[in-house]
Amino acid sequence: MVGRYLWASAFLSVLTFFSVSAQNDSIQNGEGEIDFSQFAGEAEVSTENLKDGIKRFCTAKITGISPTKLISLGYDFQSGYSLEANENLPTSLIDKIQATHGLRLAANFPVISRNAITINLGLTYMESNYAIKNGGNNPLSYSLNQSALRSTGINLTVFKPINEKHFILINTSHDLNGDYRLNEWQNPKYIKHSVLGVFGWKKHDRRQFGIGVARTYRVGEVNYIPVILYNYTSRNGKWGIESFLPARFHYRRTFSSRSMLFAGFELEGNSYRLKNRDGVFTNNFSNLELRRSELRFRLVYERSIYKFLWISIQAGYRYNYKFNVDEGEFFRGFFGKQEFVMENKLTNPFYTNISLNLVSP
Amino acid sequence: MKRSLFILLSFLFSACSVLSQNSPGDALTGLWLPSCGKARVNIFKKEGKYFGKIVWLREPNNELGKPKMDKNNADESKRSLPLLGYLLLKDFDFKGDNTWEDGTIYDPENGSTYSCTIKMIDSNTLDVRGYIGLSVFGRTDTWTRIVIKK
Repeated sequence: MVGRYLWASAFLSVLTFFSVSAQNDSIQNGEGEIDFSQFAGEAEVSTENLKDGIKRFCTAKITGISPTKLISLGYDFQSGYSLEANENLPTSLIDKIQATHGLRLAANFPVISRNAITINLGLTYMESNYAIKNGGNNPLSYSLNQSALRSTGINLTVFKPINEKHFILINTSHDLNGDYRLNEWQNPKYIKHSVLGVFGWKKHDRRQFGIGVARTYRVGEVNYIPVILYNYTSRNGKWGIESFLPARFHYRRTFSSRSMLFAGFELEGNSYRLKNRDGVFTNNFSNLELRRSELRFRLVYERSIYKFLWISIQAGYRYNYKFNVDEGEFFRGFFGKQEFVMENKLTNPFYTNISLNLVSP
Repeated sequence: MKRSLFILLSFLFSACSVLSQNSPGDALTGLWLPSCGKARVNIFKKEGKYFGKIVWLREPNNELGKPKMDKNNADESKRSLPLLGYLLLKDFDFKGDNTWEDGTIYDPENGSTYSCTIKMIDSNTLDVRGYIGLSVFGRTDTWTRIVIKK
């Protein structure tokens, strides 16, 4: 009787040993004792107890694209240039702007990040401090010299894949722009709202294309423009394109997944409320807005300096598109005849920008 | 008396060994397909922890027709390792409530290793969340269990 128990327990132990040993996977990289052919061939999704079905979705990124910045701490510097106010003022005045510089902060939180939908919440803060020789002769220069332009914003991005090939992208931005000071915040009723919607195709893992429309202030004032999304990585992974026209276009040269060089441009702009402190623009104006828009032609080098911490260094040429003053918010479009309160010409300086970034998985 | 104790211990040993093979955490083991569909990952248990290895690649070769290597790894000595057979998931502990934690996931596309938690939504669906430091800075990928057609 005892012998039978002993044999039974010994048999169970041996069986257990072999069942453990039958797991051929090694916890080292490499083949170990695996026969990979057993995992090849046509696969089917096991549907037993499946709650969410077996629908597959395309992802928001393509292979080889530069990493998303979760947190960014940067500094922007434009070298000297001149500002010439036009004939709408009693006199044409030229001021020498010695430098424009300021912090650029951004944070991007993935609120929902699933295969079926991705929602990101972003926070941004940008400032442009103007150092103007002799404090500025015309009212705009004087005003800018007194107080920096600031932009504090919140944005929401929704990426909704429809299936493995198609997706919808929606982004809304809400920015408080003006020459307010941090101890003298601007009324939230002056928040500028931007929105864009894109319908896209992801033909394969290296190409993404989309078309849509945007309500944007990138041209300095509110406008409605078509947008084109195009991201591509070459088959060998060494170069690609990252673009969202007309906002930005970059050719990407990939040295490694942790080191990339970009060449291209970005259209940057917004509408900033000017407080008309001390009635410097005369007391006739109570709702002045600076329409600022500029093209930045640039080279950008980005690389990982420690794990997920990346540095981004850019240098380029800032081309002024618009730096005019309006009274109040209204739609002019590209063909409107409304006159500006003040039209200005800026010469175009070189600029540089450096930032440290925590990048996303 | 001694004989009885020996028999009891033998049974306990056998029973424990068998039970250890069927712990609730073992539900994670098997063949899984990440959402990208580019790879199949075999999750297995070894020495009490769970690991996942790439066992199939949709495109196993690079543009030169040679097997894909881990070319993006920050550690240069590992760049010559083939992706097929690569340990994608490492060192997961089962924490109960259909959750495996304290492991890492490796992304061969950028050569980075992230902290990772795995949540089993149902017996055939996993939420695999890779993150940096805090879980909020992360991304969740849904994996589905697959079986190979015979």
